[in-house]
Amino acid sequence: MAEALTGLLAMMVLAFLRIPIALAMGIVGIVGYAYMRDWNWAVAFATAQTKIYETGRNYTLSVIPLFILMGNFVTRAGMSQELFRTAYAFIGHRRGGLAMATILGCAGFGAICGSSIATAATFAKVAYPPMKKFGYADYLSTGAIAAGGTLGILIPPSTIMVIYGIMTETNIGKLFAAGILPGILATVLLCLTVQYITWRDPKAGPPGERMSWRERFATLEGLWAFAGVGVVIIGVAKLGWLEADDAAVIGAFLVFGLALVYKGVTSVIALFTLVMGGIYGGVFTAIEGAAIGAFGAMIFAIARRTLSWKTLYASLVESARTTSMLFLILIGALMFAEFVNITTMPGELRDLVKRFELHPILVVAAIMTIYVILGTAMEELSMILLTVPVFFPLIVHLGLDPIWFGILIVVVVEIGLISPPVGMNLFVLNTLLPQVPTRTIFRGVLPFMAADCVRLAILVAFPIISTYLPGMMK
Amino acid sequence: MPPENKRNPWEERLDAALGVAASAILFALMLITFADVVSRYLFNWPLRGAFEATELMLLVLIFAGLPLVSHADEHVTMDFIDRMLTPRATAALVRAVHALCAAVMFFLTWQVWIKATRIAGYGDTTDVLRIPVGPFVYFMAAMIGLAGVVHVLRVFVPGTLRASQATT
Repeated sequence: MAEALTGLLAMMVLAFLRIPIALAMGIVGIVGYAYMRDWNWAVAFATAQTKIYETGRNYTLSVIPLFILMGNFVTRAGMSQELFRTAYAFIGHRRGGLAMATILGCAGFGAICGSSIATAATFAKVAYPPMKKFGYADYLSTGAIAAGGTLGILIPPSTIMVIYGIMTETNIGKLFAAGILPGILATVLLCLTVQYITWRDPKAGPPGERMSWRERFATLEGLWAFAGVGVVIIGVAKLGWLEADDAAVIGAFLVFGLALVYKGVTSVIALFTLVMGGIYGGVFTAIEGAAIGAFGAMIFAIARRTLSWKTLYASLVESARTTSMLFLILIGALMFAEFVNITTMPGELRDLVKRFELHPILVVAAIMTIYVILGTAMEELSMILLTVPVFFPLIVHLGLDPIWFGILIVVVVEIGLISPPVGMNLFVLNTLLPQVPTRTIFRGVLPFMAADCVRLAILVAFPIISTYLPGMMK
Repeated sequence: MPPENKRNPWEERLDAALGVAASAILFALMLITFADVVSRYLFNWPLRGAFEATELMLLVLIFAGLPLVSHADEHVTMDFIDRMLTPRATAALVRAVHALCAAVMFFLTWQVWIKATRIAGYGDTTDVLRIPVGPFVYFMAAMIGLAGVVHVLRVFVPGTLRASQATT
């Protein structure tokens, strides 16, 4: 136990000294490994070689760049603008309506983008100016954008779920399915938070313009055609006129076609249905789903005339850099995990739980508390990569569902992303909206953090919310 | 990519070349995986060797991107300490960190080179397409080394101090 904790501390000190987190983890991992093997450096170096090579040459991991690319394409396609417009049309005229429209827009965007930061960044551009125009208080608008942005990683696809899935060998498709209901719960809770804030301070979120029903439904153009196609395809497959697989393929092509004809919400729903439906239904793997999603998003961006050669190149090279950066962190973390696994820590944690006969839920609650506290000060991805190797064996040992635990992990990451002082979403807003003081951003996010903690408690208490949908999968 | 002060034209050219290579690979990765699914369902004919090609392309993508990440100073870093130090002390610390990064990268180059020599020595190839794996591992080593060179440059020519890039 002592070795692992020393290692963790050493890693934190190195990271604090501005050493890139990936290298800090890797250095401590290699040195720690050699120490555990009685300073046998040859073994430690050989392990490092293997980790680098195996992580680099791993088919499963190709899912990461593809989902990142899909996120970059949809961001450039301007789909966030369309989502916000529709949500605004329906609820903008209510008190706090624009803030709720922001959250709904983020939820919709989260369904096609797997990054919290990207979601927050795009909505800072799309939703902040209209909120400013209608006289929203900065603390409410930035709070809603920061908190809404985190829906990007809860609602599938999700980079964090992919990484958790790879580390723990949990089915990524099932993790994606598991995120849907908690995502809806999160959206509702965040909207209620907006209602609470504007109830306390009505001036913070005045109503926007009311639109006629005709205008509202105009933003949903094409949804009926889409639903019609869905009903026909499912009907044909159920009646047995077509093989289910063939029906799925024909459906996929029709969905592509419709999404090219109709802009706006319809195309977002289409892309989501195509990718997640295909993965959920077992038509293709998560990797293939990611490639189809990226390809689809590229076609949509072309159809919207937002993709030039220049932006195509920018999307690709940015995705490549993000991928490379993530993999370096992953390699560092795997090396660190290799060290932790040969220390006595995993075993001793297990004994601790056994000795005190702790109830599994108590153990999970304790782990979650540690995460929420760590998340205020640590970079979230490294927090997960460092700690999951320690906690995961315990979860398995207690007979808890790895998918449920994965969702809880995503939720603590979400909380970490918006918790001051170190929350990436807050940094993003700070950079994109320099006119808003940091203190205002920090203050605005607090009620949303409270709502997220309530959600975490609900998800811990009722695992069925996370496990129901994946349980239906074959 | 940092647009500020003038850089060595070779540095810029190399950055652009690697950027184009990584982009092309990522684009191909997407197309091949997509084509594999489509051809499997439409023609009942999965692409031969798509699996291996994907693996090797991912490898090239990751490691070609590494010098780019180092060049753009995008490695995830915690920068609390900046608030406690004077700008001059921060700059000195950043240089020291780049020197350490360079040392680690060169060490890893050496290790991966050993691995590459071994794999090339066995004459390892992929199962279906019979692509020799050795050169790819040498490429990994070379790119890690190049990232190390970028860090050495940064010790002498500081880049921009930027907040770390997004991972989530």
